[in-house]
Amino acid sequence: MSDLNKEVKGKTVQDKLSELSELVAWFQSPAFKLEDAFDKFKQSEALAEEIEKDLTKLKNDIQVVKKKFDTED
Amino acid sequence: MENNPLQLSVSEFVELTNQTLEYAYPTVSVVGEVTEFRISQGKWVSFKLKDAGAVVGCFLTTYQLRMPVEDGMKLLVVANPRLNNKGFFSLNVRSMKPVGEGSIKKGFELLKAKLEAEGLFAPERKRRLPRVPQRVAVISSTESAGYADFCKIINERWGGMVVEVAHTQVQGVPAPDQMIRAIRYFNSLEVLPEVLVIVRGGGSAEDLMAFNDEPLARAIAASRIPTLVGVGHEIDTSLADMVADVRAATPTNAAEILVPDRNEIIRAAHQQASSLGNQLTQAIDEYSARTREQLSAAFRRIQEKLNEHFERLAALRLATAQLNPENVLKRGYALLRGDIKPGATVEIETLYEIAEAEVKNVRSK
Repeated sequence: MSDLNKEVKGKTVQDKLSELSELVAWFQSPAFKLEDAFDKFKQSEALAEEIEKDLTKLKNDIQVVKKKFDTED
Repeated sequence: MENNPLQLSVSEFVELTNQTLEYAYPTVSVVGEVTEFRISQGKWVSFKLKDAGAVVGCFLTTYQLRMPVEDGMKLLVVANPRLNNKGFFSLNVRSMKPVGEGSIKKGFELLKAKLEAEGLFAPERKRRLPRVPQRVAVISSTESAGYADFCKIINERWGGMVVEVAHTQVQGVPAPDQMIRAIRYFNSLEVLPEVLVIVRGGGSAEDLMAFNDEPLARAIAASRIPTLVGVGHEIDTSLADMVADVRAATPTNAAEILVPDRNEIIRAAHQQASSLGNQLTQAIDEYSARTREQLSAAFRRIQEKLNEHFERLAALRLATAQLNPENVLKRGYALLRGDIKPGATVEIETLYEIAEAEVKNVRSK
């Protein structure tokens, strides 16, 4: 499993991106309620911060395979 | 020596000649123009290489033929010179490549037409790459600048991927076979990578010729893993590019196509959150406006009701005023109190006075 799917505070970056999209969709949907909107907005700000932190620290794992390709096996 | 020449059988002579050739010139590179190119029984390839002064026969198998050849092309062949048992001298070709711009172009066009006719470039064959791959296979020379550029850009743009790299030559005669072996290797893994990337930086047309190799083009086309090929500079087009699922102009461009830019995603996430803030402010403004409107409507309604009541009250006041007996006295009438019978005393009230009077007579009207 790559770092992208590792759980950071119980959620992956992908989860957080999806959650942020869901919040955006909620604001456009008939389910929108002003009473809940402020909390959802604070939640989206926190998610954006976490996404930034998570993405900034992700590193690629580049491995050169040991097999040689200069001759047939 | 002339007095005592070496006496040999024909077979011995052929064998000795071949031993001498093998010792003196085990491998030669010969450049010439192709003539009398033929393929026999789908297996054997023969042609002659000529220049202004001489002609030499060449022989190879179709398996070794890595590109279409036709008469008139200028080739460099790497071969073992041999004298066969029938007395014909030939070059047993180990590898060959076109030389000169015209021949390179000709070879490229012939192979391109062949692969195109087979539908290997068809848009409907092209597969989409995953938006954010997690496991990527790369074929390149790990010593090349193109590979360094590719790694630099993927590391800048994204993270969290497992990138497996097969180090191969990316130019020269051995390069296509090495890259084919690497393609097969990745395609044989139990868990396939999500994308197979082949990258190589810029170079001369001859340097990039490895990517116009027919077996390599076919191996890329046959890959079970979706392919992304970025070879050379933007102006270079190779057959490897054309058969790939996605073509990148350069190794840097391949990295840009392969992964999203994390900075853009971070920016987009903050923009999304901030747009929700704007939507929230707008929703509050709309809610306030709506509440003000509702209050104002309620006030108008109360006002209307009050007006209705005031009007009704005024009408009642008028009616009440009209019933006031004083108003009747003002019109000159008098109010009479007491029994109306002869001899009785009655009280008569006018507007300004009250008089007492005796009833003298009573008659019916």
